[in-house]
Amino acid sequence: MRQFFQRHPLIVLVIPLGMVFYFVYVGLAWNILVSLSGWTGLRVDYSFKGFGNYLRMLDDSVFWLSLKNTLLLFAIIPICVVLGLFLAVILDKGLKGTNFFRNVFLLPFALSFVVTGTLWAWMYNPANGIINSLLRAMGLGFLAGTWHTAQETVMPAIILALVWQFSGYASLIFLAGLKSVPENQVQAAYLDGASSLKVFWRVILPQLKAPLTTAIVVIAMYALRSFDFIWVLTGGGPGYSSHTLSVMMYRETFLSTRYAYGAAIATALLVLVLLLIVPYTYRTYRR
Amino acid sequence: MAGALPLSKTQKLLHALYYMLLFIFAVFYLLPFWGAVTTSLKSSAEVFTTSPLSFPEKLTLEGYRAAFNHLKKPLLNSLIITAGGTFFSVLLGSICGYAFAQYRFKFDNVIFVLVVSAIFLPYQAILVPLFQTIRRLGLYDTVWGLILAHTAYGIPMMTLLFRSFYGDIPRCIVQQAMLDGYRPWAIYRRIILPSTKIATVTAVVFQFASIWNELLFSLVLTGYDAMPATVSLNQMMGTLAAEWNVQMAGSMWLALPILVLYIIMGKYLIRGYMAGSVAAT
Repeated sequence: MRQFFQRHPLIVLVIPLGMVFYFVYVGLAWNILVSLSGWTGLRVDYSFKGFGNYLRMLDDSVFWLSLKNTLLLFAIIPICVVLGLFLAVILDKGLKGTNFFRNVFLLPFALSFVVTGTLWAWMYNPANGIINSLLRAMGLGFLAGTWHTAQETVMPAIILALVWQFSGYASLIFLAGLKSVPENQVQAAYLDGASSLKVFWRVILPQLKAPLTTAIVVIAMYALRSFDFIWVLTGGGPGYSSHTLSVMMYRETFLSTRYAYGAAIATALLVLVLLLIVPYTYRTYRR
Repeated sequence: MAGALPLSKTQKLLHALYYMLLFIFAVFYLLPFWGAVTTSLKSSAEVFTTSPLSFPEKLTLEGYRAAFNHLKKPLLNSLIITAGGTFFSVLLGSICGYAFAQYRFKFDNVIFVLVVSAIFLPYQAILVPLFQTIRRLGLYDTVWGLILAHTAYGIPMMTLLFRSFYGDIPRCIVQQAMLDGYRPWAIYRRIILPSTKIATVTAVVFQFASIWNELLFSLVLTGYDAMPATVSLNQMMGTLAAEWNVQMAGSMWLALPILVLYIIMGKYLIRGYMAGSVAAT
């Protein structure tokens, strides 16, 4: 045994690699198996039922609403990118106290969605929450809204809160990108008589491709997987109005104990992630 | 560059504008926290009679006491789960990172891509099998069930982080050590680990924060006994819906370890965010 270990020292890798293989790849296959079964209720049931769950999904208006809301959350990507870039440019001016402001902007990203979800429930509380109280105090009481408690406003409310949570992260990524743009290129462009706007568009922005991709992919992943924040703030409600695929999957599987149907919804979510990630990873790891 | 020359009038004006913008955005990012802190320090009665942004007329820790009574056990559970999950995922991820950074073996690139791709896994897609596995192992509603889950799903990110950190160590140092007769894991213990302490701290801080903050696995894999604080706080919103001072105090209890971490080790947390995303690009 000892000798075997000495001859093949890398054999220890079997433990972590085995765990990843089992919990990720076996898990994915197993989930697809469940999605093809008729398992409802607490009793485990793997009897093969074909694609019934998928057909049912295509016929389920809650599924289409959840898909729409999941894609709607992508709205946070351009907003976070523009806001993050804007903040990064100001933070890159070399002013005193820059680190302090950067840390303040990033603070929401460090905290649990359970904390931020609870905080925003209080922000949005229609009766005496922070936003409505603030509006009334400013004499803008007519703007006081229903926010996350009404069907029409719940998705914009979620999007605003998620922008609050992720834009600081985007600005951090862009700030690092801006710092790596060679100073002499910028200087040279100015000496050639380019305006600062032109320098930004022609010299700086093209060099931010890598951080841009990073920010987009990371935020898109959060948007696709977003469960925690929505679950805490609205639970998917009112009604079904803030259901995303991940919320719907959790509800169907663990609250309604329709395991097979939940597994099918999870597969749909997986396909969506693969559509986004495969081209990206392919490009990244081809090198 | 900025401080070297005396500022012209336009530059001064511009700087004032920048500070004003930074300040406005700081208010936007801090507003929910300010509201939470003031509300958490008020009595239940005062919450209803005053603006949520006003400073408490009479400071009271009533909310913090009530929330702590509610969250006592879950906070302890969270601490155990986070410590265990952090330890094992960092240890195993570091071993993987070392192997992928310094050795060539069969299919190493394929295996590496397979491991790292799991970073993008939508957890719903393995949730039913995970639930079944943990139940069959008899680990449902135990801290060990969650430690196992957090370890398994933490390995991919940790592998990526450590591979990029250990990749910075010149290959010739490791090769020299091998010529000197050191075995791979002796090199790991004596050369790699001591020279990359910052990497380990970064990984530990990063994992601690992500496991402490997690909700989905905790919701699915625990009932009452091993319930972490995230689930408990979420339940509090249902049972104490009107007691906003208690809820805000509860949020503060849950945020406290992360806030402390952010203040004293923010540098490492930020390094972790950066390394994670830059390595992925």
